[in-house]
Amino acid sequence: MSLPPSLRASITPPELELVASEQLVEIVPLVSMERTAFISGAYGPLRPPTKCKVPLWMASNLKLKKKCHIIPPTWLNVEFLQDRLTQETTLPSFSEMPFRFAEVAKILLDVAPDDLQNPEKIRTLLKDIREARQAKSREGLSKLDPNELILQNLAAMEINEIRPFFVRGMSVLTQLTREPPAGDPMDET
Amino acid sequence: MPADWEDDFGAPVAGPSFVDRARNAPNDDDFPIADDFGGGRPPILAQDAAEETSFQQLIRHWLNERNAPDILPGQEMLLGRLLDHIRKQSNDVELLRADPDSSEEEHFRIMLVQTEIERVKFVIRSYVRTRLHKIEKYARHIATTPEIHERLSKAELDHAKRYAKTVEYHFNHAVLQSLPPQQQSLNEDVAFMPPMIPAPDKLRPVFAHALVDCPPMRLPDGSATEMQKGQISLTPYHVVEHLLLRGEVELV
Repeated sequence: MSLPPSLRASITPPELELVASEQLVEIVPLVSMERTAFISGAYGPLRPPTKCKVPLWMASNLKLKKKCHIIPPTWLNVEFLQDRLTQETTLPSFSEMPFRFAEVAKILLDVAPDDLQNPEKIRTLLKDIREARQAKSREGLSKLDPNELILQNLAAMEINEIRPFFVRGMSVLTQLTREPPAGDPMDET
Repeated sequence: MPADWEDDFGAPVAGPSFVDRARNAPNDDDFPIADDFGGGRPPILAQDAAEETSFQQLIRHWLNERNAPDILPGQEMLLGRLLDHIRKQSNDVELLRADPDSSEEEHFRIMLVQTEIERVKFVIRSYVRTRLHKIEKYARHIATTPEIHERLSKAELDHAKRYAKTVEYHFNHAVLQSLPPQQQSLNEDVAFMPPMIPAPDKLRPVFAHALVDCPPMRLPDGSATEMQKGQISLTPYHVVEHLLLRGEVELV
């Protein structure tokens, strides 16, 4: 079939990772390279030890070959995450996180734990934040109605996680409320 | 199955549809060209779109296509541009490869360029396959609904019509011709039964992310609401459909 059944319901986490890998990160190169034209733009030149911005996929590729150090984004450190965790556990709303933080954090924890300060602590904090946010999105399910549900500050991975259940839930609610008082809703578009 | 499609994207040379069109297209790398051939509307997001690279645009259209229940306008120009770019990069790689004097640093650059080519190819394939899946799923609906035709490329439309015809032929010959005439129809409205021609479910909720401050939209209950830039909402597809076609929201 043109699209395997496992891909039909929604985007998969590895695909989200691929999307997130287009984001730029700063690296400290350990090898030099001339400025090179890529499809998404020209990157370089790499001149150790001058910092340089490259897409995350390139950074992790270089990192795996031990040809650079990745400078973690400003939000991927213990202080920032600790602060966000406090917000998550004390405030009812979702705290502001980068839209693709889960994907970026996973890639960096996988390929460049030695470029992070205290990666174990970061991992634990991310997990705690995830759980706190997950609990909130489950609570949000009670606010589901057939019209609209505003999800402030939800990240891509979290949306993907709640997608099947929320979409199904809302579809059922739509079916239940679909009495034609103002005509078929399809006509309004 | 249009097996030649798969081959097109495997090898960056020659092909009947996108590539030919891309070749005949003007060399548009230096100035913006409206990609949404479906509407012919002015590009509202001209400024933002200029900041997006072709590949980022394709990723956005790919995610939209994956998340939308209906088939969206095809991005032929964009695909053609990217396929051209892939071909150019592949040629450069071949040239560098053939050079026996290339240094280790060169090999290294070649590897990175190839990695990127594979990433772009993956997204292109997935995009085309997603459309193909919808085309086959809704083939009979597409064949009978002229409004959808302009959203499809010529190759896609031909395939949809051919596929619909083949399926009907198969149904008729395998089973229907042996049934009593009143049960042979493939398009009947039976009360309390789903329609016999599957159509996209525009009531299905989607997660929409506003790229700009959006004009008011009507919710199913009749009330109006506006999406602020950056807001993410779960709402039935038909509510945000026009915003999506104008590029004011993206599906996430």
